Amino acid sequence: MATPIIMPRQGQSVESCIFTEWTKEVGEEVKKGDALFAYETDKASFEQEAEEDGVLLAVFCEEGDEVPVLQTIGVIGQPGENIDEFSAGTAPAAAAEVKEEMEEKPEEEKEELKVVLKEKVEGEKVKISPRAKNLAEKDAIPYESIEGSGPGGRVIERDVKAFAASQPKLSPLAKEVAKAEGLEAVGTGSGLAGTVKASDLGTNPVYAGDFEIKKMPHIRKLIAKAMHQSLQNSAQLTHHLGADARRLLALRKEIKANEGAPNITLNDMVCFAVIKALKQFPDVNAHFLGDSVKYFNKVHLGLAVDTDRGLMVPVIKNADDLSIIGLSNQFKEVADACRTGSIDPELLSSEAASFTVSNLGNYGVEMFTPVINLPQVAILGVNTIVPRPKDLGDGVYGFVPYMGLSLTYDHQALDGGMATRFVKQVAIEIENLTFDY
Amino acid sequence: MPKSQFIDPVEVRKPGSIQFKEIPVNQYSKSIEEEKANFSNEEFVNIFHDMSLIREFETMLNLIKIKGEYEGIEYNHPGPAHLSIGQESAAVGMAYHLGVEDFIFGSHRSHGEILAKGMSAIHKMSDDELMDVMTNFFDGTILNIVKEGHEGNVKSLARRFLIYGTLAEIFARETGFNKGLGGSMHAFFTPFGVYPNNAIVGGSGDIAVGAALFKKVNKKDGIVVANIGDASMACGPVWEGLAFASMDQFEQLWEGAYKGGLPIIFNIMNNQYGMGGQTCGETMGYDIAARIGAGVNRDSMHAERVDGYNPLAVIDAYKRKMELLKDKKGPVLLDVLTYRYSGHSPSDASSYRSKEEVEAWEKQDCIASYASDLVGAGIAKETELENIKADIVELMKYAMKLAIDDKVSPHMDMEKYPELIGDMMFSNESLDKMEDREVEVNHPMEENPRVQQLAKKERFAFDANGKPFSKIKQYQLRDGIFEAVVDRFYKDPTLVAYGEENRDWGGAFAVYRGLTEALPYNRLFNSPISEASIIGTAIGYAMCGGRVIPEIMYCDFLGRCGDEVFNQMPKWQAMSGNVIKMPVVVRVSVGSKYGAQHSQDWTSLVAHIPGLKVVFPVTPYDAKGLMNTALQGTDPVIFFESQRIYDIGEQFHEGGVPEGYYEIPFGEPDVKREGKDITILTIGATLYRALEAADKLKEEYGMEAEVIDSRSLVPFNYEKVLESVKKTGRIIISGDANSRGSFLNDMARNITELAFDDLDAPPVVVGSRNWITPAYELEEYFFPQVDWFLDAIHEKIVPLKGHVVKNNYTNAEQIRRNKLGI
Repeated sequence: MATPIIMPRQGQSVESCIFTEWTKEVGEEVKKGDALFAYETDKASFEQEAEEDGVLLAVFCEEGDEVPVLQTIGVIGQPGENIDEFSAGTAPAAAAEVKEEMEEKPEEEKEELKVVLKEKVEGEKVKISPRAKNLAEKDAIPYESIEGSGPGGRVIERDVKAFAASQPKLSPLAKEVAKAEGLEAVGTGSGLAGTVKASDLGTNPVYAGDFEIKKMPHIRKLIAKAMHQSLQNSAQLTHHLGADARRLLALRKEIKANEGAPNITLNDMVCFAVIKALKQFPDVNAHFLGDSVKYFNKVHLGLAVDTDRGLMVPVIKNADDLSIIGLSNQFKEVADACRTGSIDPELLSSEAASFTVSNLGNYGVEMFTPVINLPQVAILGVNTIVPRPKDLGDGVYGFVPYMGLSLTYDHQALDGGMATRFVKQVAIEIENLTFDY
Repeated sequence: MPKSQFIDPVEVRKPGSIQFKEIPVNQYSKSIEEEKANFSNEEFVNIFHDMSLIREFETMLNLIKIKGEYEGIEYNHPGPAHLSIGQESAAVGMAYHLGVEDFIFGSHRSHGEILAKGMSAIHKMSDDELMDVMTNFFDGTILNIVKEGHEGNVKSLARRFLIYGTLAEIFARETGFNKGLGGSMHAFFTPFGVYPNNAIVGGSGDIAVGAALFKKVNKKDGIVVANIGDASMACGPVWEGLAFASMDQFEQLWEGAYKGGLPIIFNIMNNQYGMGGQTCGETMGYDIAARIGAGVNRDSMHAERVDGYNPLAVIDAYKRKMELLKDKKGPVLLDVLTYRYSGHSPSDASSYRSKEEVEAWEKQDCIASYASDLVGAGIAKETELENIKADIVELMKYAMKLAIDDKVSPHMDMEKYPELIGDMMFSNESLDKMEDREVEVNHPMEENPRVQQLAKKERFAFDANGKPFSKIKQYQLRDGIFEAVVDRFYKDPTLVAYGEENRDWGGAFAVYRGLTEALPYNRLFNSPISEASIIGTAIGYAMCGGRVIPEIMYCDFLGRCGDEVFNQMPKWQAMSGNVIKMPVVVRVSVGSKYGAQHSQDWTSLVAHIPGLKVVFPVTPYDAKGLMNTALQGTDPVIFFESQRIYDIGEQFHEGGVPEGYYEIPFGEPDVKREGKDITILTIGATLYRALEAADKLKEEYGMEAEVIDSRSLVPFNYEKVLESVKKTGRIIISGDANSRGSFLNDMARNITELAFDDLDAPPVVVGSRNWITPAYELEEYFFPQVDWFLDAIHEKIVPLKGHVVKNNYTNAEQIRRNKLGI
């Protein structure tokens, strides 16, 4: 008997996933355990294995489709089996929900034009009214990417206008160039009031067509959106302060020298110190909610991890309960999970962490301004260790290794004094770190 | 229903029986010797000449049709040729006594009548008069052709003129009598009193009555002859013409010089066949067509059967009948017995009659027997008659050579002047009056009770605070029409109006209230309930130079005058080569509440027919202005009125409806409300529902609709609509006509083509359902309603947030309805 292939549910909060690709073709034989398809959530990418043997009889989605979880996306069975009962189709419950929502919406919104963007699909016929098309072409607006609000999803004039209103204005020359070269304006331009000038379009008399434009993966777009929102919606500034790293380096040296000791990294140690500092500064171990603040009893520490898929920030729950070895092990685990794409999406939510550490020390970065994962109130950037002259007493100066600490905080939530005292406390904890292993 | 006529039950319930007046049959019995007292030798010979001329003309056409040559001259004439070989004596006899002021109307088989009447005119007119006609007709174009190389007197030149002009017309040459636009079945020449011949059987049966009406009402000399076939006596419009012509009121109600019957002879050219159908014995029951007169009026129409094979018998009959008409004893019915040897048309194999029959008639041939009578009576020598015939053959050869010479007689140059025919569809003249003389009215206009009453009315619907005046106080749509009509009655002496209940009652919808007081019977009267005659007579009236307002009480009755509205009124201006004008303003009232046969909007049907102007005003200001324009023009206008809104006041034109005269140009739509989000273009009273929809759109969805009243359908200037669509990008087109095949679709198509790049959605048509119009109680499911506009917008143009549709405007439903034909 044919069995449906279901879009898996990834955590309670995930309502839909972006389908990435089928690794089998329709008609191809499938063995249990074979990679069958790939998909992404907001936070991560996944690969799904076949759950039984058979032949892939039908597929109901393709690359780029947003598919509600638990919806049937394909069928496995024996050749010739009737699969009519499995046709794609939106879960009725979801449709009803949408309808309700529409009815509830008050009418005052009527003048508000919303722009809904979609992925431009090559070769897809765009339904657009002649008037809307003319307007779009005149203003160099990529109407293929606009979700139409007219009958049957037709792009109508108001959709193009709404899109235009949401976009930076193009200078007349930029419009001409954009039209001629099929370019799109991305972001604000360099002209007055953000007007996009021809040079902003990436067209350039020097390199001309010597570039390639690639679509960003979904996760990248989400990061972009989160980062941009963070900067837009908070009052961020960064304090830089150095910590004497002699103690840390000594501990690291000691561990390395000690055969059989766990591989506790400088990052583990810094995080351990941060946790200690956070316990003393509950204002920093918090979420800023606009008109209220959420204080955490425990420390849920987010750690920025660089992966091929992009930046991920998995969280270590109740990190303050852990010994440094426990902490170190957990870091390794979630970082690996992130890199292989098997991380639980729930752990990637910026809501899940109470504070985040981003360590670029390994890469030799001497100073940077990390961007806060809202609604957290601060993020600590950890820099490389550089030798700095230090008064060793009695007018004697020597070079001492210093680790740079860059604390970005939301001035809406924290005052400068508090932030300074906190980052100083982190330095103190680092300089006086002790632990057992 | 005049009060002056008392219907006394005592009288009408008395027993009795009808005595029919005797109808003579072939009573002519004079010998040629006896007739010598009435005709000179020259006149006797002229009759022979005229008959022979027709015979040769028809023989020439017959040879061209069946052999492709005449006397060695080759020609292919692809068009029609309905010949009358054998009927010459009937035609010449009919025309003999007629003067130029006497008009004949004919049928598809009227070449003989054209030539007979033409020759009759030539015999009677002076040289100066003839030269005058020939010089002025089409600026002397035909004269210049025929006078080339002509030797002889003016009458012989005129004969050339007649033969050439007719033949060139039959061959569709621009130098023909009607620029080649009439052709064989429609050729005519009004300067000789030859009025349009009609290719629709019986077509002249009511039109000719209108010509007689024109003569009577405008005190013109002359009579009218309707030459119709024996088979046309089965046609409804012919009977309607008979009924109209024999109305009692001419004798009993019309006064003074106007009292008495119409000067018309229904001349049945009884060749005893309708195509192949034998009228006596097969397709009719009258036995002798003259019998019909007995059923029409007390005088049995002075009906008589005349032996049409003897020209002198026909001439004799005409002499007597013309006396009757002079004494206002018309109408007259003549059954002129004749026979055609030629087929109905050249393709006719005569399978419906025996060879023996044709031969028997040929043996008594009207020309041959007349010729032998002349020779026998010593009036002419055989050689003299042979010479006449030979001369005629030469004339035919001459005319044919000339008429087929593309250099001398070209067809219209449609390559060089592609709009030649287009330019002839309308005459587009602006004339205060059709004739310059005193108007005949009963009192000065300011003494008219209706005019006095209107002076007290509010000419704008709202007071200074925007509050509407009471209905009774408001100057209404019907008042706007009345003012324009009464104004023209005091300007144009030729203007007449008639229809059902126009007098006394004042029109079924009180538009003409007050007119009865102002006008004598001869300018405003009640017609029989007979739409074909109402329109048909109006056509004849206008052809002769009068202006007329016939009324069709309900739009649904247009079908009753289908031929007149579709085939006659729109065609004659262009078919005459613009010789004829057609200043007919047909008032048509569109009903509601009265179900399937009294509530239809048929504007689309008439808009479809080329040659009609079509307007549908729905405000008092527009009604008066457009009626003024209609009555100032010279073209046929179908003037639609809506019974839904006869009592509506003027809500748009600031300052109200002007008291003075003003015109609103045809074809210009009017923006009744400005807006920027969507355009609604309406035809007719749907305007008011569109305005309500616009209110709702504004209140509930914040959309501002621009509402445009088309006012006219033909002509129509799209510029204003396109301008609006450029602004709004969206348009709904609405009217009360059922939507399939409606003019709304024509507008949608034009707008789509002309404004494609401005459109944000396809133009959407909101018309009535393709059903019978149901009872008033169910009309909201049939005619466009306020909600329909919103539903159509929501489904097809732009989704309205939160709108719950009541009507199905989806594509699937559209396909389903069309599939089912509903």
